[in-house]
Amino acid sequence: MFSRAWIARSRWVVLVGLLLALAVGCTSLPLEASWASVTLLGNPAQVLVAYADRMVMVDPVDGSVAELRDADGNVRLDEQGNPRTWIVTNSSPKYTFYTRPIEMQEDTLLVAAYESRLLEVDTITARVLNSEGHVLAGHSIASPLQNGSLLYVPLSSNSLDALNLETFETVWSFKTERGVWATPLLHEGVLYVPSMDHTLYALNPTTGEEIWRLDLGGAIAATPVVANGHLYIGSFAKKVFKVSLEGSIVAQYETSEWIWGAPAVVEDQVYVADLAGYVYALRDTGDAFSEIWSRQVALRGIRATPLVTDDYVIVGSRDHNVYWVSRESGEEVNKREMRGEVLADLLLLQPGDGTETREPLVVVSTLAREELLVAFTLVNGERRWVYGL
Amino acid sequence: MDFILNPFVTILTLLYSIFNQDMVLAIIVFTALIRLLTYPLTAQQMKSSKAMQVVQPELKKLQEKYKNDREKLAAEQMRLYRENGVNPVGGCLPLLIQFPILIALYQAVIHALAASPLSLIDLSGRLLIPGLGDVIPLENRWMGMNLSLPPDMTTGSIIAYALPVLVVITTWLQFKVTTPPMPPSEDGKPNAAASTQQTMGTVMPLMYGFFALSFSVGLSIYFIASNVIGIAQYVLMGKADFRNILPFGLGRTQTAAPALTTPTPTRRDISKGGSSTPPKDSAKPSGGGKPRR
Repeated sequence: MFSRAWIARSRWVVLVGLLLALAVGCTSLPLEASWASVTLLGNPAQVLVAYADRMVMVDPVDGSVAELRDADGNVRLDEQGNPRTWIVTNSSPKYTFYTRPIEMQEDTLLVAAYESRLLEVDTITARVLNSEGHVLAGHSIASPLQNGSLLYVPLSSNSLDALNLETFETVWSFKTERGVWATPLLHEGVLYVPSMDHTLYALNPTTGEEIWRLDLGGAIAATPVVANGHLYIGSFAKKVFKVSLEGSIVAQYETSEWIWGAPAVVEDQVYVADLAGYVYALRDTGDAFSEIWSRQVALRGIRATPLVTDDYVIVGSRDHNVYWVSRESGEEVNKREMRGEVLADLLLLQPGDGTETREPLVVVSTLAREELLVAFTLVNGERRWVYGL
Repeated sequence: MDFILNPFVTILTLLYSIFNQDMVLAIIVFTALIRLLTYPLTAQQMKSSKAMQVVQPELKKLQEKYKNDREKLAAEQMRLYRENGVNPVGGCLPLLIQFPILIALYQAVIHALAASPLSLIDLSGRLLIPGLGDVIPLENRWMGMNLSLPPDMTTGSIIAYALPVLVVITTWLQFKVTTPPMPPSEDGKPNAAASTQQTMGTVMPLMYGFFALSFSVGLSIYFIASNVIGIAQYVLMGKADFRNILPFGLGRTQTAAPALTTPTPTRRDISKGGSSTPPKDSAKPSGGGKPRR
């Protein structure tokens, strides 16, 4: 039954099988580094989605890819006479995009590629102007922030770098213990830098000098929100904080899991979601948070900032669903199933906000390429259009 | 896979926390723990390998005797295995069980180090000890390299080049030191099993070297630590055979011929520590590095 030749052969089969299993097991991790950024750009405003190897401009009315037009407004045609569309792709060198581009002067976008490069994109032709890019000191996970002639670039390599927008040389670099994964906030002459090293830093935006620092007990992956003369921010310490502009904790509230996204603040109400799928509605009473309601809305984590409207709190989850919950009670009103995890911030399009949409739409981005963007009506969650790759 | 992965991620993060946030030390200690836990499997593999080696001469005789009668040969081989307590696939089974552990460890390193947002978000909920999330994210830089990424040769760091080389060398060393040599056939030609073993001894280190180049630096550290600990384990048990690493098979040619005269051991002999008691002039497969007289 077990001849020596059989054993010798089977050893090879087992060995090859095991090595294959090892190779497959070792590579069964997410291929992408992050999720899409979705933003409004241009006039009339279009939806710009940056994800993986491409950036695409989508018409918010019907989800079609925007057409390139010349100075007279005529559609540009390619060699075959087909309309040219607004898609930025690249093959060599390969860059990936997860951050929101910045609109510069003269029809130029500045986008930080994950592969440590700053690229300039011509919005008229949808072409990268500098394919080699300006070299950054580390991976770019969050969008840069422009302030006059300075560009603040958060980097995974434990720093926030301020670059000169003319020369792209480093003016100053503020070192942190871990990476900076969120866009800094500039407010009343102070630059607030959230860092994965658990600390919120306040810096002089011109010199990069530290004004104060505050340990929030866990990694901070989102930009603080400024409202009511205070900063609101969540951390991996499973807490949402209200912080004074002088750097002291005024109030805090404990959640079930890490908080990744920024809170949404509407007057004295604070809405925040955590990675256990809970949504919390809190009332800011000055020096404390009181709970209005809290509820496990989703089976898996909610990363993004809740989208708060007059009637609803809308959240997307890793469980492939988008939930509309009552802002008043927290009860589920609508639920829409998606093909992939929902991690990107939701975008609310309102008629008259620069887009040509005729009804309020909620634009959702998923990790599934066939549903990169899906637009739902705000009122009843009806699907209006889908854009997929 | 989560039922293996989550405890692994938790233990790795706990060790990182205990060892002053030193990820490399955490991986090495974790590897030692894994080797300790899988020791019964290693011992079983070793025992099976030795037993198979001991029955090789008898097996060869059977193959010669029944070369025209496959059914009879198979029956006689099974009888031989049964009488000597040999499981012909006993050497592969422990290896098979260890592979999911290896894959889980790789994924644990990647998940725990979480270099990208998608990896980090996947880490949430995996830590089974409350409060352990306070050390997240873990420091993933080590000697100018990112532990969760393949070694970056463009940095010019000598460690980036040294790691895959060390993986190949230590894998080869472990294979040589822990695998008893197959005796050649009576006609002096190398037998099929020996040549398979020899090929494996060349292919496996190269394959692991390829993995070291393609996967994370953390995995390379695991490979090196695992190999070194594996060799140490065999040395401590007095089973390591350093003669196998001598060039040109010097250790092997001196020891192989007497092995042919080794009588077929009884089941009782094999059950004593997994090897027969060889005659005084025969090769002792686990010589512990002492020169044979």
